[in-house]
Amino acid sequence: MLELDSVVKLFGTTVAINGVELSVRDHEYLVILGPAGAGKSTTLRLIAGLTKPTRGDIRVDGQSLLGVAPEHRDISMVFENYALYPQRTVFENLSFPLEARRVPRSEIKHRVESMASILLIDSLLDRRPGALSGGQRQRVALGRGLIRDATVYLLDEPLSHLDARVRQDIRVQLKAMSVNLHSMVIHVTQDYREAMSLADRIAVLNQGRILQVGTPDEIYAAPVNEFVATFVGDPPMSLLDATFANENGQPVLRVAGTNISLAANELISRVTNGSQPLAFRVAARPTDVPVSASETKECSIPAHVYVSESHGYRNIVTIKLGDATIRVAAPPKQTWRVNDPVWLGLGMHNLHVFANGKAIYHPAVSAAGATTRPQRSLTAASTIGN
Amino acid sequence: MATVGLEDVWKRYGKVEAVRGISMEIVDGEFVALLGPSGCGKTSTMRMIAGLEEISAGDIRFDGKSVIDRPPRARNVAMAFENYALYPTLSVYENLAFPARAAHWPNDRIDKRVREVASIAAIDKLLERRTGELSSGQAQMVGLARALVREPAVFLLDEPISHVDARLRIDMRTYIKRLQVELGYTMVLVTHDQEDAMALADRIAVMADGRLRQLGTPAEVYDRPEDTFVANFIGSPPINLFECQIGQAGGKTVLRRDGLTFDLPDQFLPLATAGTLPASVTVGIRPFHLTAGAGAGHGAIAARVVVVEPLGDMEIVTAEAGNLPIQVVIPPGNRPKRDDTMQLALEPEYVLLFDTESKQAIHAPSGGSATAHAAAALV
Repeated sequence: MLELDSVVKLFGTTVAINGVELSVRDHEYLVILGPAGAGKSTTLRLIAGLTKPTRGDIRVDGQSLLGVAPEHRDISMVFENYALYPQRTVFENLSFPLEARRVPRSEIKHRVESMASILLIDSLLDRRPGALSGGQRQRVALGRGLIRDATVYLLDEPLSHLDARVRQDIRVQLKAMSVNLHSMVIHVTQDYREAMSLADRIAVLNQGRILQVGTPDEIYAAPVNEFVATFVGDPPMSLLDATFANENGQPVLRVAGTNISLAANELISRVTNGSQPLAFRVAARPTDVPVSASETKECSIPAHVYVSESHGYRNIVTIKLGDATIRVAAPPKQTWRVNDPVWLGLGMHNLHVFANGKAIYHPAVSAAGATTRPQRSLTAASTIGN
Repeated sequence: MATVGLEDVWKRYGKVEAVRGISMEIVDGEFVALLGPSGCGKTSTMRMIAGLEEISAGDIRFDGKSVIDRPPRARNVAMAFENYALYPTLSVYENLAFPARAAHWPNDRIDKRVREVASIAAIDKLLERRTGELSSGQAQMVGLARALVREPAVFLLDEPISHVDARLRIDMRTYIKRLQVELGYTMVLVTHDQEDAMALADRIAVMADGRLRQLGTPAEVYDRPEDTFVANFIGSPPINLFECQIGQAGGKTVLRRDGLTFDLPDQFLPLATAGTLPASVTVGIRPFHLTAGAGAGHGAIAARVVVVEPLGDMEIVTAEAGNLPIQVVIPPGNRPKRDDTMQLALEPEYVLLFDTESKQAIHAPSGGSATAHAAAALV
């Protein structure tokens, strides 16, 4: 087990890491997810020993790493800027970590070729890094980092320079490979899909703080605050301002800029019992909101189309709801024209509720999985009027 | 705004043929994306429309009039790049006014136009700010809006949002799309990103090796790609493409490969009956169009699960049926595990066939499968 215990890192007066507590289990694939400048790379560099924490401790199996030199930590790191040897061929770059550990020559050849084949760079083995594209170099760097045995692998945005298609392929290869590594992997990325795809658990980092640690399912279904809620998901949830009120003795959330009142549940009523006023926001996953071209029992909230985009397997429709804007995912067959009237289904069954930025309510995970038709459930298990 | 016609346009750089005989018509007010990998000729094509490159052969017409002898400034083309080079010490207003001042417009006309464009681009609240103080998304919108001030005949966008961060890009797409709909401008977007092209364009021109492979609506290029290149370039996760031989089993025409057998979908039966199917075909099926698990039913194949990627709104399963790697998208909920055996069936109406040799689509006779049956009976 690897533990970061109250780790703080200052660069001058800038707080890069602000009291990070994190435990990574043996054999776990942990992804640190966050935007640029969150402190992700700094966290990796602290673990690798390339920089020292200002305060706090980093331990492996209870033993502090702080006095251990980087080369004695048995950590293999893949750098985002590749750090390849420009004078060596791709083969030599890949074989270097094995030669340094005196692996027999025949085994080196076998392992280099097998790694190159997995990363789709087997035709490049004789080239030098200077003759490669950024994406190819990044795959060489990834291969060099993963080719040797290590207790901990640290991957710093290892897929960021790959084009979308190759990234998907390599993501699958990396996931398949990770099962056989039998080591701890800590992978840093800004791409939530990459995090969801690969991680056993995700740690969401922002401004040097860990906001949430959980399985991909937990992070997706129950984000702890508005930041996590909107950082995970494509398109992101649209946050709508809301105020709490009593209407005819019933607690409701009124969505600002619209005439929508949502019947609030008891939980939310309880939260409002405190004395200070709360800033409420509500948000739904675009795939959880049914949309219809006519008013139905399920879709009763009138709105109109702002823009519709095709994504092949679905349309992403941006909808104006009074002054507010919300994005929903709709099936591909129907066309949605600008300014067309539409009706939405919104309620406590699909809305997350935030008070002062913190999540106070999540809808139950939908039973979408029970349906057998993927394309329907991907666009919310909805009835689309047509 | 103008209709833009390209007629057998060629571009040669020495011996290199960058653009090889492209013909298309972009109608007035249409949003067309030139989509393809690097080196496909899309940027050369756009630069020839703008007049930044001479054309080697062919003709380019705006509203029917050839423009190839006109310099760029005489074509009234606006271009927006990823890097907008705004004047950081000037206000947003002055940045927007700049092209109009350069064209010596009267002040009241400039003011009216700047406010109009700012309002459409949703930056009207920023007019007094210096551009150096703007967020990158706001700066992008100011750059786009500035290109629109002069009321160009054609608006060209060169990878305008390729490298902005994912969140911002989703918003930028929405704004650009709305801008185009409201202004009704003829727009040409150059991009290597199929998602941007799909989301924004009325029609997509898919290019490869200097040639136009297909020109169609997003739905057309996605659902009915003309060749395996287009099929593979459009869609994420990518389409499954695999080679099969046409064979017979139990009196039926089937698709066969390495121990796997699939029924030939009904819509292709007339071609089988007529004997016009090639011996070797490439089957295309999108990951969204495979039924997994209990619903797979008749004709299902068994596949071993290799990797499952839970993405929240969907799960991508990479599996192997014998030695055939295949990807399928399933809804969240019943997540299979590595090494599970999964039943997979192709949804027949979504099966695409390509001639393995020519890589060209094999078109099913129109009219759907019911008609196809009838047609088969008549042949």
